[in-house]
Amino acid sequence: MAVPGSNPFSTRFTQPGRITPLDAAGRPLDAGVLLARLRILGGTAAVVGPHGSGKSTLLSRLAHEIECGGERLQRLRLRSWRDAAPSWSAILRAGPGSVVCIDSWECMGIAARSLMRTAAIGRRCGLLVTSHKAAGMPVLVQCDTSLALLRSIVASLPGHDHWYGTLIHAADVESAYVRQRGNLRESLYELYDRFEFRARRGLGACGSGPADDDGSVGERRGIHEFADGFSYPGAPEHNLRL
Amino acid sequence: MSEPQDRPATTPRIELHFDQPHRQHQPRDVLAVRYRIEGCDGEAVRALEHSVLWYTEGKGEEDLGVHFFQRITDRTAMPPAVTTGAFTTPLPQSPLSYEGFIVKVRWCVRVRIFFASGRDFVSEHVFALGRIPPARNPTTEN
Repeated sequence: MAVPGSNPFSTRFTQPGRITPLDAAGRPLDAGVLLARLRILGGTAAVVGPHGSGKSTLLSRLAHEIECGGERLQRLRLRSWRDAAPSWSAILRAGPGSVVCIDSWECMGIAARSLMRTAAIGRRCGLLVTSHKAAGMPVLVQCDTSLALLRSIVASLPGHDHWYGTLIHAADVESAYVRQRGNLRESLYELYDRFEFRARRGLGACGSGPADDDGSVGERRGIHEFADGFSYPGAPEHNLRL
Repeated sequence: MSEPQDRPATTPRIELHFDQPHRQHQPRDVLAVRYRIEGCDGEAVRALEHSVLWYTEGKGEEDLGVHFFQRITDRTAMPPAVTTGAFTTPLPQSPLSYEGFIVKVRWCVRVRIFFASGRDFVSEHVFALGRIPPARNPTTEN
């Protein structure tokens, strides 16, 4: 059975930490400038924006930069208010000068957020969160989406030169953005499906049995080359989780 | 064998050879791999890692398991002194490679070079474990 290529829109390549945070114009955000602003704000601030606007991606990058700067940092991702306990634990363990990063801050109730912020002040630790609204926190940056931003993300994905214009076209990117009403995460999921459908149709891997073994002919070639010996500069997020 | 690719001269290139044709392995097979590192251009290497791992790829959160891992820090056993490497490892019974529409399970050999400058470079080479037929495509693209 052949080993078909990777789908560049999979979360493996698009999850927070794997792509460079960009502004709405598609330009890289300067983490140094944002961290300087965070210090001015007293170390406590929110990355604010709607669903799928790159808040978690930016938080991941800022957390990485903070860690590289030698500061102690704890990262948490909330899925519901039930995850409040580990957040409390993180803040109570945090020492002066350390930073607690909480993704999806709005999952906690108003009272819990207020108490936690007070606790962070008491512990003299920083609190960097993502949220849909400022919710009483100073705003570090407002994340907005645009078609230009989605285009820039798509252009940064692995193997772009191999599949752009053949499996995914400019019109696909535009229609995904419009259909998903500017939600970049959902737009990338839609492009994942589109890429997968077209790549598999090109591969002939429609479930009728094992694909052939050649891996070097016709439409397969571009995709296969992308997966075969796929290389990239290392990043902390690529570390093996041993 | 991985195909040579066009890259800037300073980007390393890793040519990797699997012992089995078509990169097709069966559970409990012994995986034998040889690789050659090119393009380091004399840049000092701090460490070299080679590993065998599986990961999921799709629209959900990525899962990953390391089956074999070796880190080489002996300067006499890595570039620029030595530009080739090889290892063998018995493969497990699972998880088998799977080409689903929403999620895939992939096995790969990963070679990672840590340069003294602080940057590092990763090269992944996918192979298949087992023979599960790929999932059927949806009938329409939407």
